[in-house]
Amino acid sequence: MFQTYDHDPSAPTADRQAWMALLARAPLRLLDEALTDHQATPQWLRQPETGLMMVQGRAGGTGERFNLGEITITRCALRLSQTPTGPVGVAYVLGRNHRQAQLAAVADALLQDPAQRETLALSLLAPVRQHLQQQQAERHRRAQTTKVDFMTVAREAAGPQDEDTE
Amino acid sequence: MNALQNMVAGFEHEAYGSQAVFRTALQALSHPGRPLDMPLNMTVPRGGHAAAAALLLGLLDADTAVYLSPSLAGSDAAAWLRFHTGCSAVADRAQAQFIWIGQGDALPLLQDLRQGSDAYPDQSATCVIEVHNLHPDEAGWRLQGPGILGERALRVQGLGADFPAQWSRNHAGFPCGVDVFLATATQIVGLPRTTRITPVEG
Repeated sequence: MFQTYDHDPSAPTADRQAWMALLARAPLRLLDEALTDHQATPQWLRQPETGLMMVQGRAGGTGERFNLGEITITRCALRLSQTPTGPVGVAYVLGRNHRQAQLAAVADALLQDPAQRETLALSLLAPVRQHLQQQQAERHRRAQTTKVDFMTVAREAAGPQDEDTE
Repeated sequence: MNALQNMVAGFEHEAYGSQAVFRTALQALSHPGRPLDMPLNMTVPRGGHAAAAALLLGLLDADTAVYLSPSLAGSDAAAWLRFHTGCSAVADRAQAQFIWIGQGDALPLLQDLRQGSDAYPDQSATCVIEVHNLHPDEAGWRLQGPGILGERALRVQGLGADFPAQWSRNHAGFPCGVDVFLATATQIVGLPRTTRITPVEG
């Protein structure tokens, strides 16, 4: 589901759902680099809080839903301090890093401002997308090394009589 | 997303704030009829009285269902409660564990709310009713019951005239029945189901 956003060609104008899916998986390093000007304490609606969330899966992508397991999630909601009536940024990120959740929410708030969207899409979303693609390619490469090509070997000239005689 | 655009923050500090509110609610129910100042160290929505909003923010959680009276249901207070507490809003007040009646909205029949059962009287509803003003020690109601030494006087402005009659029916159903908080902008009064109310003339 996530992966559908990663190769979106209409990146700069991608809607909010798409960039939030990217921000949720953006590493702290990339967020930090892109948001050096926005480190001020925001106006909190919901301070970063860590909790558990149940992840559901479907066998084969089509089967019945089942509970896969719980993951640790950190979420927060905020307004930027320089725009007290501006858009609300929301972030849900994996793990317990409060700062990562804060920066992801800041990025979400900034991206909702059309004036900032273009620059931030270039400085943040593009590297994140690239990072995720690299990560996926690396995973794919590692998985490929374990690939085994099975071939069917037909039993030759082994009639049922042979087994009976033994 | 519109609901979120007008959203305001909740408690300044979640743990301390909610504990202060809970403490006040306990005090209010232990001393029925005594107005208590609600600690308002939080941002409250525009709709509804601040003390009522604070009380519900402290008491609600994701397992509770709340019914909001018509003037509150469409206001920012509803979205604010849902955002900060995770509670669910229900349209049927017989299903709700908490009832929030805004200033000027018609008082529902207390008998229509969840009464609990003889085995589980704790499963009854808690009703938060907004009123104009609370005047302790003024002639209006005479309150008697557990938590009151002798009797206590309280005058309430902005509550339906049929409330004492409804309340005596509610009291008669003990151990079942609802508990009520009356809330002004800054104060709350607790009325547990054990309290008897006698209206006084004059």
